[in-house]
Amino acid sequence: MKKTLGVLIVAALLLGVVGCQQPAPKEWTIPFLNSLTGAIASIGEYLEWGAERAAKEINDAGGIKGKPVKIVGVDTALDPQKGSTEMARLVKDTLVALGPVPEPVIMAAMPIAVENGMPSLTATTSLEYAQKFFPWTVSWFPSTQDRLAPLVAAWGKQFPDMKQVVQFVENYGPWPGMADAHAAGLEGLGIKMLDKVEVPSDAVTFGPLVVKALSEKPDGVVFVCKPASAAKLIKELKNRGWKKMDHLLLFSSADAPDLYSTGGKDLNGAEIYNYINPGLDSPRWNAFKQAYAESHNGEQPPSLSTNYYDAVYMIKDAIEKTGVTGSPSKLKAERKMIADYLQNAKGFHGIMFDWDMKDGVPTNKPTFIFKVQDSQKVLVQEIK
Amino acid sequence: MPLPLYYFLSITAVNILLSWALYLPYRVAHLHFITVANMAISGYSAAWLVMSLHVPFGWALLAGFALGALVGWIVALFIGDAPTFAVVIVGFTFIFIVRTVIENLPAVGATMGIFGLPNIGGNPETHRWVIMAILAGMLLLTGFFLHRFDHSRLGRAASAVFVDKDLAASLGVNIKGLGMLVQTVSCTIAGGTGVLYGFIYKSFHLDFFTFALVGIAMTIIFVGGYATPWGTVVLAPILYGVPLLFPPAIQEWRIVIYGGVLVIVLVLKPEGFITRRFVATMESFLSGSRKKRNILTKEEL
Repeated sequence: MKKTLGVLIVAALLLGVVGCQQPAPKEWTIPFLNSLTGAIASIGEYLEWGAERAAKEINDAGGIKGKPVKIVGVDTALDPQKGSTEMARLVKDTLVALGPVPEPVIMAAMPIAVENGMPSLTATTSLEYAQKFFPWTVSWFPSTQDRLAPLVAAWGKQFPDMKQVVQFVENYGPWPGMADAHAAGLEGLGIKMLDKVEVPSDAVTFGPLVVKALSEKPDGVVFVCKPASAAKLIKELKNRGWKKMDHLLLFSSADAPDLYSTGGKDLNGAEIYNYINPGLDSPRWNAFKQAYAESHNGEQPPSLSTNYYDAVYMIKDAIEKTGVTGSPSKLKAERKMIADYLQNAKGFHGIMFDWDMKDGVPTNKPTFIFKVQDSQKVLVQEIK
Repeated sequence: MPLPLYYFLSITAVNILLSWALYLPYRVAHLHFITVANMAISGYSAAWLVMSLHVPFGWALLAGFALGALVGWIVALFIGDAPTFAVVIVGFTFIFIVRTVIENLPAVGATMGIFGLPNIGGNPETHRWVIMAILAGMLLLTGFFLHRFDHSRLGRAASAVFVDKDLAASLGVNIKGLGMLVQTVSCTIAGGTGVLYGFIYKSFHLDFFTFALVGIAMTIIFVGGYATPWGTVVLAPILYGVPLLFPPAIQEWRIVIYGGVLVIVLVLKPEGFITRRFVATMESFLSGSRKKRNILTKEEL
């Protein structure tokens, strides 16, 4: 009798435990804290497009562990106030999120994710920002110094005649640090770095800035400023007789549609570096390009459009390879499992190339230098 | 306290305090946008004190108030009796200057910002309660001060200056002294608010202190009503809170909706929703008094 009673009690307790467990959701919902309105809404649009493209591909192939994935855009409107409140709403029951975008919102909202132990992938910012929130995010890029100094040195090595270089620098977030890394790389080649020319964020006329730069008699110019500003500076340089177009180098953040729409043919011959190679010929990338062109009036995918595409696939890997169930009752533990996986993911198959993560930092992503020709990028060299 | 509620309440409180910091000098027709620059100066300074010199938060907050007052007073020495337009120009210029200085100061993170401000009290829960308690105290204290100011001789003098500066001067109002007083108090409020703003986020970034913040405060004041502090109290939570309830499809139209509401209000009710007359009516109603106020200034009407 006692034995039967004991079995019944244990069975009842087990049933109780099982009964208390909330069922896993029928789909994987991934909120994406993004700037869908405001000054960078156009960038937010293609970031989200990339994430949704990945979700569509995954769902067409059967979903994640048989369940569909859904990207839910959460507009932060480039506003730290809104970003923090939205993040505070998400951390209650979200397994993993994407974003926020960009740096001011990251700084306001990511501490909330960290405090609540929720992974959120900030796939567009530099390591210098992302690492403050490890292990609850990962960096999409290696350290600015480690990555950019050899990259810009590789550009400089092409031109033995280049003896002194000036940089146009806009004071925004990590950009001055990127300019410092450029300088370190070029100085390593014995090239003299001239005084930087600061580009005001709200500059309207660029002639005086170019006159100031040319007065230093540079042989080469590096642009660390917004795409439209860089394009206008190059136009002004050409108007003032600049001929050596390949001695102009644009940094990666300038590689956006407004660079080409503003610069047009005046950009021909200038060089630009970036982390993806649009000339790659692979079925996956070709399908991505075609889909992007179909939904964007024939345009080519901008350089950042693949970041959140890859991020969604990385989350898929994390869920599939760690045994995450999505059950709300295991939320805390499964968030940690995903975060731990992402920190040291190995052999991730990105749309462009495979890479490994080590302690939240990609270890073997290549970078590329291109020459601009009729608003297209032609590969000059790959730097690993 | 639920996390979203904390962020909603604390940021709403910051918006109210910032708007009040603009409201007070506007009583003498000064649109004193230097308050936003003061938020940045005091906020960054307090963060630097806490992070680099390990000064306790309480002292850093007091330093933020003091710095705000000092900067406000020094600037007021020059523009205490300046015309509205000149005060606006000084405010905008000051924001540019402060941003440029911070951009070039590695000690406060320059363009990168300051990360990882510590939890007050050692843990996040205590941090939130302390922030909320301080903000609530500041709201009560500032609200009480503004109420007393509006009902004092100084407040009436300010109303006279708002309507006609020359007439007010001929009545013996010390225009510059009054201007300096409201500007200095305004900057003191802004200084403390700036410190708390960054400590809510536990970080500082220059883009926390942009002209968008001026826009938020201006909308709150002018839609809520610029002749009484109550307009700010009513509109700040609505302006910040209601869009959070919009479904995503409508969220994208938020700016258009804001703009539409602002245009409609400015056309149909340029004095804002909450007027002095409305407040007086409510006060009479709540106190059961049937006393009528027959004398209202042009500003109150």
